[in-house]
Amino acid sequence: MKQIKVKLSKNQIQKIMLSGMGFVVLVYVYFSFFLGPLNNSRDTMLGQITELQDKVTNSKSELTKTAKLEKQAETATNRFAALKALSPEGAPIAWFPPRMKAFFANQQIDKATARLENSSAYKETDLANWMRYSWVIELPQADFASLGTAIAALENAEPLLSITRISVKALPDDPQFQQITMVASTAMVKR
Amino acid sequence: MALHLNLLHEEIFEQRQRQRDPLKIGMMVLGGLGALMLLYYLWNAYKVLEIRSRLSQAEHDWSKVEPKVTSAHKRSAELNGIISTTKVLDGMIDGRFFWAPFLEKLSRCVALNAQLTSIDGTVLDDGKISIVIEGLAAGREPRAAAEELRQLLLEQLGQSYQEVKVEFKALEDLDTIVKIGGANQAMARFGINATFTTQVSKPSPTPGPRMKVRG
Repeated sequence: MKQIKVKLSKNQIQKIMLSGMGFVVLVYVYFSFFLGPLNNSRDTMLGQITELQDKVTNSKSELTKTAKLEKQAETATNRFAALKALSPEGAPIAWFPPRMKAFFANQQIDKATARLENSSAYKETDLANWMRYSWVIELPQADFASLGTAIAALENAEPLLSITRISVKALPDDPQFQQITMVASTAMVKR
Repeated sequence: MALHLNLLHEEIFEQRQRQRDPLKIGMMVLGGLGALMLLYYLWNAYKVLEIRSRLSQAEHDWSKVEPKVTSAHKRSAELNGIISTTKVLDGMIDGRFFWAPFLEKLSRCVALNAQLTSIDGTVLDDGKISIVIEGLAAGREPRAAAEELRQLLLEQLGQSYQEVKVEFKALEDLDTIVKIGGANQAMARFGINATFTTQVSKPSPTPGPRMKVRG
């Protein structure tokens, strides 16, 4: 086999080394300052595109879900509006006692009074916008049959009212009539 | 054989040396490589520009949809709130104890020879209803009349409510004599405690029948 020997002078070796260094610098500058940032920006943009496309796709299903929910919640919405309408504007102490007085007067029970015992917020998070009011309703004179009818009507007319305590005492002077004290709690919208 | 003399060998040698200059060759290689790299960079830059236009299109699409999605989110949260609030309120409404039917049942239990002087009813925290009834009973056997009232009450309440307990708290004869239907009759004072619930307590689940597996 024939071996080719290339003899390089010192000057030539220096030039080769200089060219090598130039090559290294070129590659470093190219990847660090040109191609690297370009690729980074491309990757970031691709990530953003994927994210946005996912969002758009999810948004379509979200809109469909909301439309379905709107249909499903129609009954609940109407019912909620009806329950909310049971609490008129203004402080409950301003309108609830007159309402009770008028109600019992319509039931032939006069001199009904209602006073606020206490009020508190509900613990349930779903009822954050509602308050519980406890009322003492006093009927100084009523016969038992009228009382039963009136309470039945009250329980039907006021779905958010719940009688928690009732006390019926016969009047000593007139045993035909009774004196009634009720404690009723109501749920009312916070105003 | 003819003798061949190269009189320009030094010039030729120098020319060859110039042509083989490593720096020159290196610069040419670097130039070529640089050109290739530039082409590759330009190709990538073109692709990035294309991606940027896709991104701006996606951003445009999202900006069109975003307000709708935000309002849908809000509406959805609002509707869910309404549904859960209505559910809780309905639970409260359904869980109420209705006093009117109870008073009706009570009125059916009171015979002509008995009189109720006081009724105290309370809905307890555990959902039980506690009733304290006080009254007077008259008859040849006034205690029996009171017992009849207790048993009737137990029967009547048992038809509609669960876990009904009706017990005497007090029962004592009185010295007072009362005239009912022209006849003098003895009297007794009674106190009755009644407790009941409106809902049946849930029984523990019973295991289903064992299935035989035939091999």
